[in-house]
Amino acid sequence: MEKKSIWKRITDSREASLVIVLILLCAAVSIKNPAFLTLNNIAEILKNNAVTMILALGMLCVLLIGGIDISIASTLAFAGMSVGLLFKFGYLESTILGFLLALVIGAACGLIIGLVIGKGKVTPIIATMGFMYIYRGLAYVVGNSQWAGADALGNFKDFALESYLGFGVINNVIMVTVICYVIFFIIMKWTKFGRSIYAVGSNAEAAEISGIHVARVKIAVYTIMGLLSGLCGALATTVYASAQPDMQTGKEMDVIAACVIGGVSMSGGKGSVAGALLGSLVLAVIAKALPLVGIDSLAQNTVKGVLIVVVIILNVITKRVMDRRNLEGREM
Amino acid sequence: MAGKSGRTISATPEKVWKKQIFSWEGILVVIFLGVIILCKILSPNYTFANVLREMPKYLSEIFLLFPMAYILMLGEIDISVGSIVCLSATAGCMVSNAGVPFGGVVLAILLVGAVCGAVNGLILTQFPELPSMIVTLGTQIVFRGIAEIALGSGGSVSLSNTEGFWMIAGKAGPFPYVFFLVILSAVVFTVISSKMKYGRSLYAIGSNRQTAFYSGIKVKKVIFTAYTVMGLFAGIAALFLTSALYGANTTTGKGFEMDAIAMAVFGGIATTGGKGRMAGGVISAFVIVCLRIGLGQINMNSQLILVIIGILLVCAVLLPNITGSIKIRKKTN
Repeated sequence: MEKKSIWKRITDSREASLVIVLILLCAAVSIKNPAFLTLNNIAEILKNNAVTMILALGMLCVLLIGGIDISIASTLAFAGMSVGLLFKFGYLESTILGFLLALVIGAACGLIIGLVIGKGKVTPIIATMGFMYIYRGLAYVVGNSQWAGADALGNFKDFALESYLGFGVINNVIMVTVICYVIFFIIMKWTKFGRSIYAVGSNAEAAEISGIHVARVKIAVYTIMGLLSGLCGALATTVYASAQPDMQTGKEMDVIAACVIGGVSMSGGKGSVAGALLGSLVLAVIAKALPLVGIDSLAQNTVKGVLIVVVIILNVITKRVMDRRNLEGREM
Repeated sequence: MAGKSGRTISATPEKVWKKQIFSWEGILVVIFLGVIILCKILSPNYTFANVLREMPKYLSEIFLLFPMAYILMLGEIDISVGSIVCLSATAGCMVSNAGVPFGGVVLAILLVGAVCGAVNGLILTQFPELPSMIVTLGTQIVFRGIAEIALGSGGSVSLSNTEGFWMIAGKAGPFPYVFFLVILSAVVFTVISSKMKYGRSLYAIGSNRQTAFYSGIKVKKVIFTAYTVMGLFAGIAALFLTSALYGANTTTGKGFEMDAIAMAVFGGIATTGGKGRMAGGVISAFVIVCLRIGLGQINMNSQLILVIIGILLVCAVLLPNITGSIKIRKKTN
């Protein structure tokens, strides 16, 4: 086989082309508005988009096994509300316990979904749609028409303002995001579990025959997704200093969009942690950049939607061109 | 039954009457009667007239069920309909406020809906490699985004001339006009899906797209039509929704797509395509509407109603699978 040139390698790799897009985007915006590429601004962007970035990791795993999870925003709200209200009524005071509880609630929610999909063999979109209703409803029922504001959250909301996890330099929320990404990068690249996720996504039957417990992998993946949703429930509560039953409604679509832009295939087996990161970064930068370059924030959603459609169509076109070129190469 | 396994286990055909009663549609009718009896016990106000009076609020969503069922039969999905409803309703209100007569307003609403649906259809037929979920996710954001731009910073528009809308919200005896239209569309869609060539090709494409294509079905045309009709019916839903709300805002129609899909799936129409019957979808739609009205009458928290519907939905898809796998285990032992 002939060696690929560097240029070809860059254009072939989804991640590399995304990095270029991201750099061009940042450059264009900072020419128009130099305030964009300051450290403060970047930290602000990362902090405000931590939820999407972390959820994109879980969604990556779910999409990799050929599934989908649209219940994550509801799980997030359920976990966030539970923790927020416990702080409000004084049952909880320690921040660590708050996070642990959110993680447990999220993981339990995810485990139930995983059992229904893995053992019950229900189509993922339908199962998670049902649980989207259930968990969102539970968030309201738990709340009982109350919500936790900044004064009710006590020292829990300070987590998002301090930076003891980041050695006093980097904000806690950003640090949590970084830790999640490092863990997932290692898991997906070098562990048996990570590789079996890819195996199940590429060909579930072949994976089953080669000794992977497909149902168990599915349950684990949805549990991880729930775990991350719970974590994000706690994070969102600290970042926005409030817990409401309708928090982050529709977030699941943002997260799926971030994954798709990052090159994660909806049919499973294709995608990477770097892709999920870059996809959510591109979305975050665009959302922040539009007002800076003078586009009305009302048009933000339209631009985001058009971007998603354009990206997926471009994907198909490049793939078609590549296939045709490969065919021509063979004929010669 | 809706489960996959029912077909492969028994080589001998079951008796016809048994098939009729134990089909998912038969079970749904029983559930329907159960829901009515339950609501009757819970609430003394649950009378025929009262239910009909509250029905128009929910009926506009049923319009979305019919074409959504077709799209699910095709093995596709459309999660942009809620946004199409929003955009059409916004367009209708704005056209009406500009002084256009009511006929023109109706035309504008339907046209906007159909065009949005056609855009979905066009993208999906031009790029068949793309999953419909992600395409309609994109257009979902775009359509609502356009409505957001049109609505401006206020985020809402209210009708200044309600005359025409007031007319279509009228009633013939106890029945609202929209009820007749729902029944009429239910009959038309059922007949098309079970008796006409177009309906049968829906099932063929849903079961196996490649085979359908090679046996001469114009797959692209069928898919394009289904999505355009979906958009058109989203327009109709927007029309009746506006006649009930006298305005539109950025959250109009939010979550309608999920409600429509839930109705169809509860009615036994599988999202994997090629399965289910229109009748099941229609019965399940009325089960959900009657349940909502009944639980609403006893002042149950509307979010708790969502929890109940969610549990019903999960059980409806889970039960056939569990009974199916138990049957298989029995056979193999």
